[in-house]
Amino acid sequence: MSKCKIIHYRKNCIGCNSCTEHAPGNWEIDATDGKANLKRANGKDDVFIAEISELELADNQRAAQDCPVGIIHILDAQGKDISFE
Amino acid sequence: MSQAEIMSPAGSFASLHTAIKAGANSVYFGIEQLNMRARAANNFKTSDLPEIVRICSENNVKTYLTVNTILYDHDLVMMKKICDAAKENKITAVIASDIAALQYAHSIGLEIHISTQQNVSNIEAVRFFAKFADVVVLARELTLNQIKKIIQEIKKDNILGPSGELVKIELFAHGALCVAISGKCYMSLATDNASANRGACTQNCRRAYRVTDEETGEELVVDNKYIMSPKDLCTIGFLDKIIGAGVSVLKLEGRGRSADYVHTVTKCYREAAEAVAAGTYTKEKIEAWTAELATVYNRGFWHGGYYLGKELGEWSGEYGSQATKQNEYIGHVTNYFRKTSIAEIIIETGEIKIGDDLFATGDNTGVVKFKLENFFLDGVPGKVAKKGNTITIPVTERLRINDKIFLSKDR
Repeated sequence: MSKCKIIHYRKNCIGCNSCTEHAPGNWEIDATDGKANLKRANGKDDVFIAEISELELADNQRAAQDCPVGIIHILDAQGKDISFE
Repeated sequence: MSQAEIMSPAGSFASLHTAIKAGANSVYFGIEQLNMRARAANNFKTSDLPEIVRICSENNVKTYLTVNTILYDHDLVMMKKICDAAKENKITAVIASDIAALQYAHSIGLEIHISTQQNVSNIEAVRFFAKFADVVVLARELTLNQIKKIIQEIKKDNILGPSGELVKIELFAHGALCVAISGKCYMSLATDNASANRGACTQNCRRAYRVTDEETGEELVVDNKYIMSPKDLCTIGFLDKIIGAGVSVLKLEGRGRSADYVHTVTKCYREAAEAVAAGTYTKEKIEAWTAELATVYNRGFWHGGYYLGKELGEWSGEYGSQATKQNEYIGHVTNYFRKTSIAEIIIETGEIKIGDDLFATGDNTGVVKFKLENFFLDGVPGKVAKKGNTITIPVTERLRINDKIFLSKDR
């Protein structure tokens, strides 16, 4: 099963909580600053990347689509942005 | 008549410097994500607070920090951090709306202003919030008579804030109005999951809409498709009445606006407030201020807004700004010689000629406006400068390397 990637541009998160409602397995709210954290992610400079399986795709696409500040992007194995597919 | 405090928006260091130079008595700004401009690209960080306070205290300008979004449980830690940082950095007051923020700020002895997001519309609400706050921003939907009555009641009943002084009333004097009641709009949340009350408004009310009867498919004939976009508030024409009613603080909207906007609006309202206090507020001056205000971003002015109790329904007829002037990027400052007050500028696009109105803007410069009266190009006086040219011009006020240069021209 091919892997997808979530990219999270955390700096502009407003802590609305939507992503954690849609995909609690991949997102949690940080206890110290109230912004969302992408679980099991690598990153620096406020850009975080995590691999997810296709089973997790639909929930995270909803998270990306509902993000009010558009800072969640989902890429397929070829690097194509499939956030809104 | 005492002079009203002019409170200007500071969405960036450039706007902050500009507001101070243009005569603001106080500035308001947000840090981190818990403020009503959370979507804005250049929000200040907590680490900017010492510098902001330093600049303001050197200029005797008060500092107000906004913590006025709705708060969820997971925001409480950050809210407390912001309030603690405000206290530590000696911010004059926080502007808050959620009870959690009011309670916490009060518990650590911070001065509090009640945000317009609380929609305070009656004297009993003022009495309640006086337990926490020394200044209350009234709802933008009240009429002048309602405001006047609230202020009279405050005096009559001697309603005091935590400082022991009479609660002061603050009003929005200029800038954007919402189609919905202050702090109660869910339109952007409903369509884009972007809550206006978390500072993420997508301003979808500003767009053009069609109204169709679903049953018949017939479209309603509306003469203006911008059915939900009110014009901007402009009170400069009756500031005497507002100040006469006892309003102490005049807030200018626009943390998302440019430094140029902040400059013009602050300058006009400061002059107007001074004129009211000095008894030199005239019709001619009002006309001049109104024309000047129209040069910067606006959706057309609703003179009076709700305040005069006018019939509602002054809707914007166009998308975007109806400013009479537009700004065109020209180039940037490559050097400034302080001894001789000469700026060296590279023209990167377009062209400028003698007589043009220019302005420079930058984080530490704010906004400096000047007329191009003479300049040198390749060592000789020039008339027109084009893309690629580096010119030197006298500019009395100090500019800084990398300040951006704009041409201000009629639309």
